[in-house]
Amino acid sequence: MTINHHPSDETLMRMAAGALGSGPALVVSVHLEGCAVCRNRMAHFEAVGGAILDEMPPVPLAADLFGRTMERLQVVQQLQTKERSVNKHPELGIELPRAMQDCEVGPWKWLGPGFKWSKVKIPGSPDEKVMLLKGRAGLHLPAHGHTGLEFMQILSGSLADERGRYFPGDLDEAGDDVDHRPVVGQESDCVCLAALEGDTRLHGLLGRLLRPIVGF
Amino acid sequence: MDAASLYIGTGNARQLRPAARLVVLNEARQKAVLPSPEELIGLIDAVARTQDRNAFARLFGYFAPRVKSFLMRSGLEDAAAEEVAQEVMIAVWRKASYFDPGKAGASTWVFTIARNQRIDRLRRTSSRTADNLLDPTDEPDMPPSGEDIAIVAQREEGVRKALESLPIDQLTIVRLSFFAEKPHAEIARELGIPLGTVKSRVRLALNRLRTLLDSDI
Repeated sequence: MTINHHPSDETLMRMAAGALGSGPALVVSVHLEGCAVCRNRMAHFEAVGGAILDEMPPVPLAADLFGRTMERLQVVQQLQTKERSVNKHPELGIELPRAMQDCEVGPWKWLGPGFKWSKVKIPGSPDEKVMLLKGRAGLHLPAHGHTGLEFMQILSGSLADERGRYFPGDLDEAGDDVDHRPVVGQESDCVCLAALEGDTRLHGLLGRLLRPIVGF
Repeated sequence: MDAASLYIGTGNARQLRPAARLVVLNEARQKAVLPSPEELIGLIDAVARTQDRNAFARLFGYFAPRVKSFLMRSGLEDAAAEEVAQEVMIAVWRKASYFDPGKAGASTWVFTIARNQRIDRLRRTSSRTADNLLDPTDEPDMPPSGEDIAIVAQREEGVRKALESLPIDQLTIVRLSFFAEKPHAEIARELGIPLGTVKSRVRLALNRLRTLLDSDI
């Protein structure tokens, strides 16, 4: 599988720095799972973090911190049990990426003719705007723009807009300069994971359609 | 506040440009004042294999004061930074067997643990969450080959050289990007420079790093 659309350098650097919101970070994690090129890019950005850590001027610690840490290690070791996450995923008809295993994923809900969505909740980040979207083959999505960044990873099927065609494994980052009218490929339904950054809103018909139902 | 004053330094090194400071640190390393990257890897390995407490003590001595420093620079108070630094060191002990020198250098690995702990603290979730989110491949698998380890060492070295070669204004922005969940608009306010300037410095710095990336893919 050739992946043609990747997260930007800036996005990967923010991800490496821990500065990307958990919604967009989830979408990028799913991309990384399937993209060796970006895992390598990400490793470079994380190495920047390692270099910065190395050059931090050491600060004094409480004299007994090491001793207290050693004491806690005894306890921690006894508590170490492998918790298994319960299945929080309804039957969606697709295999979810590993990066989503701790997320709570809702059932498919109607959004429009041939168009469904499912709410994705990230533990600890209830307000993130993340969802799975499913469009039937050939569906024309309403034209829309964004007030900020929209991240979208294709899980199955394909999608095309004025800028190109997106296949499974591709990640599209659309900023406020992008107004597009995505069309689902004819070959099959398309499922994608989408996240809007921060207070990003969609405008155009799609925004008006989504807002009352999805809440953003 | 000007860019240089944002830089935290100690002793004589404070007057030097960050790039020069890196060189000073590298020289100090060579004089065996600090454990080398290879030694750090060996120490983590000793913790993983035999739960070697002396090795852990050395890792603690090197990393805990730097992790705390990093967290304080990221906006945590002294006590909170120390608490999180302790959590980070506990994770180092607990996860030592997951460390794969064929994937990341020792400092980079500890940085990712500190980063995830910081995220967890901000979002008040269990550490499993951020770890899964950021590291889906966090599993011990085949022992790394010598070649993998060499590739990682080369990457770590290359990244350090690339950082050293950045002009101070670009390096400052990269550093600030790593210290906190700060949007560029906030960094711009803090530095008293226009947002467009922050963005262009980020772009220039990323281009420099990209050159490095392109040369070793």
